[in-house]
Amino acid sequence: MLRSFGWNEIWFIVTAIQWTLILSAIAFGGGALGGLLIALSRVSRTSVLRHAAQGFIRVFQGTPLLLQLFVIFFGLNAFGIVVQPLTAASIALTLHASAFLGEIWRGCIEAVPKSQSEASWSMGLSYRDRMRYVVLPQAARIGVAPTVGFLVQLLKETSLASIIGFVEITRAGQIISNVTFEPFKVFSLVAALYFVLCWPLTLLARRMERRFALSGRS
Amino acid sequence: MSPSSNAAAASSRSDDRVAVRMEGVDKWFGDFQALKGIDLEVANGERIVVCGPSGSGKSTLIRCLNRLEAIQQGRIFVDGIELTAGAQNVEVIRREVGMVFQQFNLFPHMTVLENCTLAPMRVRGMSRAQAEQTARGYLERVRIPEQADKYPAQLSGGEQQRVAIARALCMSPKLMLFDEPTSALDPEMVKEVLDTMLDLANEGMTMLCVTHEMGFARRVADRIIFMDRGEIVEVAPPADFFERPESERTRAFLGQISTY
Ligand SMILES: Nc1ncnc2c1ncn2[C@@H]1O[C@H](COP(=O)(O)OP(=O)(O)O)[C@@H](O)[C@H]1O
Ligand SMILES: [Mg+2]
Repeated sequence: MLRSFGWNEIWFIVTAIQWTLILSAIAFGGGALGGLLIALSRVSRTSVLRHAAQGFIRVFQGTPLLLQLFVIFFGLNAFGIVVQPLTAASIALTLHASAFLGEIWRGCIEAVPKSQSEASWSMGLSYRDRMRYVVLPQAARIGVAPTVGFLVQLLKETSLASIIGFVEITRAGQIISNVTFEPFKVFSLVAALYFVLCWPLTLLARRMERRFALSGRS
Repeated sequence: MSPSSNAAAASSRSDDRVAVRMEGVDKWFGDFQALKGIDLEVANGERIVVCGPSGSGKSTLIRCLNRLEAIQQGRIFVDGIELTAGAQNVEVIRREVGMVFQQFNLFPHMTVLENCTLAPMRVRGMSRAQAEQTARGYLERVRIPEQADKYPAQLSGGEQQRVAIARALCMSPKLMLFDEPTSALDPEMVKEVLDTMLDLANEGMTMLCVTHEMGFARRVADRIIFMDRGEIVEVAPPADFFERPESERTRAFLGQISTY
């Protein structure tokens, strides 16, 4: 039975935005935490930590996100561990975001001049205080724009979760497309919704970049 | 502190009147030797100026004293504590040694006052009120009390360097190291920084200054150290150093710098 592409169908897709946002937020939050640990490990003086973090990054940057999703969703289910699509997608995207944010933030930490650390050392600041008060705040300024840029990318990548059956906007679009046979209209709407979500973030990233470019001079 | 670490600290303690002692210090960068068999003793209250051609190891020498550079051979004592006897001592010594860098190295994301209060609060455990009071006192002494709430980028180079000096003084160091503090400054700002250093010298601060300001060296230094190719070539009071240099290399260096 064919349904028409009416307000109900549109509303179904629009309300699925919340799941795209929830998945993005989980992945970004978890990825921020993991990314900070990865970044700090990468610049650590302990070589075990450095190498472990490097290995983690290699694995998650060197394989397609789609396959990471498959491995976690089907792999865990094959071992008898039942995971819901949201859980699997959250885990996969969090690990993925940790690797990428870790690498972005490592670059930001290393972009803070060594002389800032030398000044900190010279007055006896501990490792923690040097990181917390001197290095990370400056790295954060450098990191705002690329981080928001990555968030935009992550938000779009949540669409891959549709393949394991998680109903966010792309999956909602597929469902409606299947019952209306109006793929062009449906997916145009889905694309427009992604654009509406991402465009402000892109603008924000650009504005912050400009603001820090002005205030960051020393 | 455990009894055994007390004993270790006691055994590595030496004469209280000695601020710095270096014994047979060798420093390598890869296979390049930057310091060769350095022996040096600096008494408390003494003002030392280190000079020499570019690349002779002046910065390396003073950076070894708070372990911004690690050494490969020899021993270093600062304030009676052996720097080379373990990481614990490094932390202790860094608290007591202030350093002023050529490029100021202020924290650009903090105000002048925050720059000056960070270490006293985090390292010395001072309260904010106490640290701010101390900081304002030192900013007064380097003659920029009105700049406390500005950011480093809003100050001139000379002012920034005076903030850097105040920041170091806020830790009440027993020893101050200066690495070409006026070399990055426009000429008209050199004097204000040298005046500040002169005040400090007159108050009895133990100082090691790497500088090319020979007028300052003549006025302030108790002894001048001349370095060349990683070695201490000559150590002498200013009068002897400028009027009767012993080494050929010192004479050549002095000849070059007084050409203009
Ligand atoms: N981090 C480093 N790595 C390799 N070589 C260095 C490093 N720092 C200094 N050097 C070398 O050591 C020598 C002494 O340097 P330095 O102490 O900075 O000289 P100065 O302060 O007298 O100009 C120079 O030849 C310099 O190139
Ligand atoms: Mg130098």
